[in-house]
Amino acid sequence: MSSAAKEFLRNAAIKSADLAHRQTLRRNIDHYDAAIERARPRFLDWQAGRQRCHEIKWEAINHLDRYLLEFEERVRARGGHVFWAETAEDARRYITDLAARNGVRTIVKSKSMVGEEVHLTAALEEKGFRVLDTDLGEFIVQLRHEPPYHIVTPAMHLTRAQIAALFKEKLGGDGGDDPQKLVAVARRVLRKDFFSAEMGITGVNFLVADSGMVAITTNEGNDRLGTALPRIHVAITGIEKIVPRLADLALFWPMLANSGTGQSVTCYNSLIGGPRAPGELDGPEEFHVVLLDNGRSELLADAEQRDVLHCIRCGACLNVCPVFRTIGGHTYGATYSGPIGSVLMPHLLDGKKFDHLPFASSLCGACTDACPVKIDLHHHLLHERRNIVGAGEQPWSERMAFKLWRWMMMSAGRFEFLGWAGRAALRLAYGLGLEGSPLDPLRPWTKVHRAPRIPKRSFRALWKEQHGAD
Amino acid sequence: MEQTENPGRERILARIRAALRKPAPMHVASGSQRTVFAPVTDVLARFEKECAGNHTELIIAPDADAAGAAVASVLASLPAGEIFVQDAPALRRMASAWPQDAKFHWSNAALAGGEGPAETSQATITLAETLVAQTGSVFVSAACGGRGASVVAPVHIVVASVDQLVPDLDAAFARLNERGVPAKNSFLCLITGSSRTSDIEKIMVLGAHGPRRLVVVLAHRWE
Amino acid sequence: MKKVAMFIPCFVDQLTPEVGLDMARVLHRIGFQTEFPSAQTCCGQPAFNSGYWPDARPLAEHFVRVFHGAEAVVCPSGSCATMVRNFYPELLAGTPLFDEAVNLGRRVFEFSEFLVNVAKVSDVGASFPHRVAYHDACHALRELHLKREPRELLRHVRGIEFVEMPYSEDCCGFGGTFATKFSMISSAMGDTKAGNAEASGAEYLTSTDPSCLLHIDGILRRRKSAVRTIHLAGILAQTADSAGRASGESR
Repeated sequence: MSSAAKEFLRNAAIKSADLAHRQTLRRNIDHYDAAIERARPRFLDWQAGRQRCHEIKWEAINHLDRYLLEFEERVRARGGHVFWAETAEDARRYITDLAARNGVRTIVKSKSMVGEEVHLTAALEEKGFRVLDTDLGEFIVQLRHEPPYHIVTPAMHLTRAQIAALFKEKLGGDGGDDPQKLVAVARRVLRKDFFSAEMGITGVNFLVADSGMVAITTNEGNDRLGTALPRIHVAITGIEKIVPRLADLALFWPMLANSGTGQSVTCYNSLIGGPRAPGELDGPEEFHVVLLDNGRSELLADAEQRDVLHCIRCGACLNVCPVFRTIGGHTYGATYSGPIGSVLMPHLLDGKKFDHLPFASSLCGACTDACPVKIDLHHHLLHERRNIVGAGEQPWSERMAFKLWRWMMMSAGRFEFLGWAGRAALRLAYGLGLEGSPLDPLRPWTKVHRAPRIPKRSFRALWKEQHGAD
Repeated sequence: MEQTENPGRERILARIRAALRKPAPMHVASGSQRTVFAPVTDVLARFEKECAGNHTELIIAPDADAAGAAVASVLASLPAGEIFVQDAPALRRMASAWPQDAKFHWSNAALAGGEGPAETSQATITLAETLVAQTGSVFVSAACGGRGASVVAPVHIVVASVDQLVPDLDAAFARLNERGVPAKNSFLCLITGSSRTSDIEKIMVLGAHGPRRLVVVLAHRWE
Repeated sequence: MKKVAMFIPCFVDQLTPEVGLDMARVLHRIGFQTEFPSAQTCCGQPAFNSGYWPDARPLAEHFVRVFHGAEAVVCPSGSCATMVRNFYPELLAGTPLFDEAVNLGRRVFEFSEFLVNVAKVSDVGASFPHRVAYHDACHALRELHLKREPRELLRHVRGIEFVEMPYSEDCCGFGGTFATKFSMISSAMGDTKAGNAEASGAEYLTSTDPSCLLHIDGILRRRKSAVRTIHLAGILAQTADSAGRASGESR
């Protein structure tokens, strides 16, 4: 077992037993569920909407080269720069070099999962740049020196009391936990940095091919300040964020907001097409788009799982996942957690260490039902399990166990006999009081369950008795 | 940036092209032609309802004069400080109705070498490209006083006329495209209500980094 | 005389035989003859779900051959019926038995699905005067799209007091080998489910899936809960005459 897998099991055990953490998650997700229930009726036909979204993303992803080139041409025509980064290191180097060349000292950053994926903040801080995460949730976890807990709500594992204590300790807040006051503290503290920073880094929600624009969505407006005030704007994105037309956003903006937070649309949906244009009042002098591959082109080549690249990062699959709700986002130890993380992480470069994630699911299918672009998430977990087993990566003992099991099951006679023998052994063991002891044959089960009642006769024995052989 | 400084570009494109030689199935399901959103019939009523829901303060005025007076009363309620205004003829005409002792900073004056709204601005006043009834939103562009005008100050006042109001986002994009707005602006933004966050216990709080108050003054008639 | 073949899941055969007997009892009562093709063993789902498709494939082929010619196959487990209907086509794609597997999938039914949608019977003459909550097993709910059918059958049970439990659609955490590989997550999910069953005030928790019930039962008993589990077939098999002789009960 890889060390990442061992770490996962260890953390999962801790979090599964942490009732307070489960209750916090339950409460926060109840808020989300209530918001969805209120907001879903905005759609006359949500199923039609997600089918249409699936078709649009299918068109975009299955013609990815064409649309990326169209996007690039239009961005460059307006004076923007497009850099294609094969690896996380390429992306980091481009951005740190850009900052160094331009005498940047302070960087304001708004939410970017791709930024997390390439560990951008750490790379910049190492080179001596001061980086502020301005999304409130990211700001909070940055103060705690923690990674984000959830794609959309980075601090959802914290209560207001914990946040108040954090602000009191780090920012001189007064310890009051009224969310309104806490937000005001963050606003006050970050505002100075917005006005003095030389560079703003944002993520991207959609790359719009026909207009050469990047679409950025926030509720707070931190991305707006970060793309209006600093001299340089860098937008970092995966190559898969493409949609063909501006008009497509008329559907994607409401779908993203509805599934992400239960809103009609998010408060600010910005479109940036370049640096400040001639005649414009303000805006950055330079605009850079960093397109990250980092294994996405490999996933593209897997025609069966290609639609994982349709993801619009709404976070709904995390919210509905009973495993996520039990272990929380940090346990995954991965940039992307929950169901989308479990199907995506094994495919990114250096993804082998996440090969345990596709197995850490009960395959309930709630994620697939929730996905606004109809990714077949839980079936892809099955596909990935098949791929991992097929690559010969599972332990020898497990492979032998399934071979043995198959041998038994290919014959009703063998099954009947071995079933009878197994039950006899269990009845003996439990009759001797060995349930729950180290000698319990069902120990992996009885660690957390009472043993089932072991019947004397199987169904087929009883049936034969009652009805004769068939 | 020269192409030669980005060798990864050709390699990524080559991998994409190779990958796409294998076709991937689309989920075939009926329904994508069905109507996703119920058509908006009473456009103004819908806009009013959505604004109430997303905490946009909507003031409907019969004409430009009344609109000017409405803006004046909002300004009168603010603490003293700079008011940044998009330098547009319609707003210049209205300005005579506004408190004369207020510190107005007209956007074109900034072009001469200054920036957008100051950090300590109390409010900004701009026009809009279009308004959207479906979501109770305002679509602004760089031409509406710049990028900072709609986000820097704690209060953002939008002055618009009813014939700028369209039923839904489809119509909004159609209108923007018809008028070449995306091509002429490096920045567009669909604004829906006041700045907010749900990052604390997923409970919504208003007034994060953007304006705490969004006021839309909507005139029926526009001279 | 209408006849159906019974598909008895491997673990029902060995651990909860009463579920199969109860299902047969109900089918007889509403006028069906049942046969049990004894060459059947397992549909192959454990190997399939764990990624061992080459080991699952021969079992699937065996299954298809065993049930060759059956007009209708009825199974007291949503997950096993799902395996045959929804996953055999993928597992057997490109093999000689593909067409037959697809065909068979159309004739394999989960028990409540068969009663309500095929036999068109919602009242099977059952009597079970207890307060009962229902757990929506994941495969039955999301793969077979069954939500109305089990409730329809329960509604017609004489004397029953049906209560909806909180979060009835949430996964119980069994998930096959997930329960042993990730036992702490599985049991925490089961614990949540058990707590919700208790919160509903029900005396009995029922479901279409014996695997879920085995898991939830093992956790309820560990919690020394007052709630007991019983398979849907166990409730439907009870009549006014047999009241008190709860053969399908877990303890």
